[in-house]
Amino acid sequence: MMDVFSLLGHGFVVAATPANLFFCLVGAVCGTLIGVLPGLGPVATISLLLPATFALDPLAAIIMLSGIYYGAQYGGSTTAILVNIPGESTSVVTAIDGYKMAQQGRAGEALAIAAIGSFIAGCIGTLAIAVAGPPLALMTQKFASPDYFSLMVLGLVSAVVLANSSVFRAISMILLGLLLGMVGMDINTGEARMTFGLVELSDGINFVALVMGLFGVAEVIANLEDVSVRIVNHSRIGSIWPTFKVLRGAWGAVMRGTLVGTIFGILPGGGATIASFSAYALEKRIARDPSRFGNGAIEGVAAPESANNAAAQTSFVPLLTMGIPTSATMALMVGALTLHGIAPGPMIISRQPDLFWGLIASMFLGNAMLVIINLPMIGIWVRLLAVPYRILFLAIVVICAIGVFSVNNSSFDVYMTIGFTLLGYILRKLDAEPAPLLMGFVLGPMVEENFRRSLITSHGDPMIFLQRPISLTLLVLSAALLISIAMPSIGKRRTEVFQE
Amino acid sequence: MKSMAWRGNVNFYSGVLLVAVATVALTYIRSLVIGTVLQMGPGYFPFGLALILLGMGLCLMVKGIVVGGSPVGQFHLRPLVFVLLSFAAFGVLIERAGLILAVLAQVAVAHHASRETTFRESIVTGAALAVASSVLFVWLLRIPVGLLP
Repeated sequence: MMDVFSLLGHGFVVAATPANLFFCLVGAVCGTLIGVLPGLGPVATISLLLPATFALDPLAAIIMLSGIYYGAQYGGSTTAILVNIPGESTSVVTAIDGYKMAQQGRAGEALAIAAIGSFIAGCIGTLAIAVAGPPLALMTQKFASPDYFSLMVLGLVSAVVLANSSVFRAISMILLGLLLGMVGMDINTGEARMTFGLVELSDGINFVALVMGLFGVAEVIANLEDVSVRIVNHSRIGSIWPTFKVLRGAWGAVMRGTLVGTIFGILPGGGATIASFSAYALEKRIARDPSRFGNGAIEGVAAPESANNAAAQTSFVPLLTMGIPTSATMALMVGALTLHGIAPGPMIISRQPDLFWGLIASMFLGNAMLVIINLPMIGIWVRLLAVPYRILFLAIVVICAIGVFSVNNSSFDVYMTIGFTLLGYILRKLDAEPAPLLMGFVLGPMVEENFRRSLITSHGDPMIFLQRPISLTLLVLSAALLISIAMPSIGKRRTEVFQE
Repeated sequence: MKSMAWRGNVNFYSGVLLVAVATVALTYIRSLVIGTVLQMGPGYFPFGLALILLGMGLCLMVKGIVVGGSPVGQFHLRPLVFVLLSFAAFGVLIERAGLILAVLAQVAVAHHASRETTFRESIVTGAALAVASSVLFVWLLRIPVGLLP
């Protein structure tokens, strides 16, 4: 335990350089910004800013990108409370009681509790990474290629949870992503595969073009289809300093929300959105008077906002210790690290201690910055809502285009974005979410490599995946997870939670 | 789309999409060495994946025909076509005419993607974006691209 704190202290030294502090702030501000603006999520924004981080060193880049992610959790609550429009999917439930509180003239109270709860949860979640990270990484270091393959399978199965569509179609999206990940040079023979004879594809499909098309641009088009709603802020914010009584009422909910979020973030397939829904459902269930919920209960703001922040932090655990992304945002982080020449996995902590501990320390600093950015400066963010989408989308498409182009300075990547936008648009219309596809795409090369290596060591015997205890455990877990999603009773509960 | 005929559903068209992708993939994998379990060639893994995808696609098509499914979301061509065209304009111009013209051209095309854009607002936004991106990307981040032809 002492060790953790001394390492963490070292992390603060690394993270507190003026440059890293600056990029942490940039990330936090960008995160708040996109959190406030509906129709622009963290996935799209991180892919937008990914090319801009090439000039930075890896630590600064990952500090900034992760700041966007957890910053968005803060910003998302602002619009949910003030104008009943959740800026992020993670703040959907916050709007239920938060907006009611705003209508009752208690907006300041709700905003304050959301920010304070987020801060406490963010810090505890970050602490959880510091404590759980090293032992988990140590464990993963014992993994051989069959174990890795099974771990990837677990990661991919968990991607099914992310999708709202049927299990069968979600799996087909994962496989499609895996296949797209195969495009390019074969690692063992150097032979070009499925490149259609195009030299530009020999290094594989450009990650940024794929993400930008599937998520960023396709989302812009989908937003343009909706008839835009004029956002008018009626409610007065009121005092942002909560009374002692309010604090005491929210305290328990903050703690329970943090716990739920911390656990859901680490679990494969968990993530911030499901964490916030579960935390809200839990509060409602244990409340002495459940009818208060939906009518401005402070717990209904405190719990989900704490949960989504805790989960946003702890979802970094599987990524940094095992190299497995548990959500689309984390898949982007894998891409970002890889582009910077760092292979995500158990070796990060031992080989790149500066990166691991620096990132964790920056999360503490970033969370502290976010409280300041979000509470006293709330008025600025609210005014931002006045920027109409008809102007905003022009800026988004231009930044997307420049961003994609700048990765390799090639127009080809821009044309490829057009193709993936079309694919993303069609998938949306077919009710198929692109998130599982992205997970498959990111994990594809690693899955293949470990699969081939395993079968070489076992002389072609596929039983090797069941003979090794670690691999067997992971496969059993994957199967259990898959069955639990496919079971109608649980599936029904999932939709129930989403409807609440 | 015809109004009376069977319009299909998400299952059916997801299946069609998968079958199409798998077929294209399989034709390109044909030239690769598949190998055996012991001596896996570069085509082994993609070949297996494409076959499974083909199977899943066919299953979805059958499911779509027999069981049905929810209807396909409506396509709005205006935003789709103009946003995609705006990227094409940017791609064509960026290396030939420089960043400033490429940005202006993209905004000019994307302007038509929404009915709510106004001529004056888009001109101002386009000019601001051209200036801002020149400063940010070319001057600060030093992307090797010309500003003007």
